[in-house]
Amino acid sequence: MTVTSYFLPASMPDALALLDAHGPDLLVMAGGTVAMPLINEGISLPRLVMGLRHAGLDGIERVGDELHIGATATLTSLLEQRESILLRSAAARTGSWSIRNMGTVGGNLFTPPPGGDIATALLALDARVVVRSARGSRTVPLGAFQTGFMTVDLRPDELVTSIVVPLDTGPVTFLKVGRKHANTPAVVSIAIHLALDAGTVTAARIALGAVGPHPLRAPRAEAAITGARLEAPTIDAAAAAAAADSNPFDDAVASAWYRRRMVEVHVRRALTELAARTTGRDE
Amino acid sequence: MNVSGSHRFAAPRASVFAAICDPATLMAVIPGCEAVQQTGPAAYEGRIALRLPGAVGSYRTSVRLVDVAAPHRAGMEGDVVGAMGSIRGRADFVLRDAGDATELTWRGDAVIQGPLARLDSRFAERLAESLIDQGLRALAARLELATAPLATAPLATGRATQAITEGPE
Repeated sequence: MTVTSYFLPASMPDALALLDAHGPDLLVMAGGTVAMPLINEGISLPRLVMGLRHAGLDGIERVGDELHIGATATLTSLLEQRESILLRSAAARTGSWSIRNMGTVGGNLFTPPPGGDIATALLALDARVVVRSARGSRTVPLGAFQTGFMTVDLRPDELVTSIVVPLDTGPVTFLKVGRKHANTPAVVSIAIHLALDAGTVTAARIALGAVGPHPLRAPRAEAAITGARLEAPTIDAAAAAAAADSNPFDDAVASAWYRRRMVEVHVRRALTELAARTTGRDE
Repeated sequence: MNVSGSHRFAAPRASVFAAICDPATLMAVIPGCEAVQQTGPAAYEGRIALRLPGAVGSYRTSVRLVDVAAPHRAGMEGDVVGAMGSIRGRADFVLRDAGDATELTWRGDAVIQGPLARLDSRFAERLAESLIDQGLRALAARLELATAPLATAPLATGRATQAITEGPE
């Protein structure tokens, strides 16, 4: 079986109408960096494909204290924006230039681990996913949108149209551990967003990528630093808690055992770096 | 493909067992399941529509309950057939009392044929375990709902997660 129809809708309503008509038989493609390898290798055999390049979903706009990112905004455009340091850092460590030119922010929410570095950063920023269909729209926190390995909370007639990101207000860091420095799948990626008051952590979001069925929060690590100062014993406890919070897997990149060890080592490094940076700021 | 897992249900063993053997309940909890019908005393057929990243399609499913020892253990033999290939295999599950709760452990063994077989087997195993885990979580939510007082019970749903807000953006 080969592709019999390739649709290129010129607007979001046109795209939603196509999804409404063809539902689960329509393969939706944004950048194509996930779908095309599967199609080229003959694993995925879609009959109907819809490209979103012309659907007008590629804008990035600041609205108040939030960033509205169109689902097909490329990772290169994320690298070029100046509103979110964390998202820029994550984009810089994701894929190669050619992948970033094609890959999209919306598509990254669907990329199976060890991919999904952008989704990890978005999770640390408490992003929300806007989902539309011909029936209406709904907004889902990213943490609830991703339901399992390669599965999301999306009905057959629904389309992810944008991602709403509260802008980072406190110190942030993104750290990716791979086998190579650049263009590498993650052993683990770590995104942290803190709120500090006179050196005490008042709120923490620690997101871990490539160590679970989808990017995960590390709730016990967050609890370990919330209400405390970023000092060595607290950081050590949080790093150990993050390793316990992770749910890693074996693949060709790394073993589950190694991934869990790297979570502890690199959460410690990330928090130590944040502590040094924020202490400098206080002084 | 060898897969396994476990799940804890806050419900009595007999009701967990009955739910697993009930096609209407199965239809509500299997991700993407569109239809299940009973075709024999312990045989069911269904259709599952899966929209995965980079791959879409419908799969015809047939399942047969075998070696049933209610409410302790049962096996399911069956196949899933679609454009991407077929999966044929068997899953066995065992239920144990754990205080007021029920502990379910399961183990599956399947052969993948067709284009799907080109996937890294670990990749296919993670996907299968994830789908089954989502089904069991949704089943647990339904069973807890059935045993919860009506006044505090949330709206029944077969979906693993809930949208937080609905309406125009």
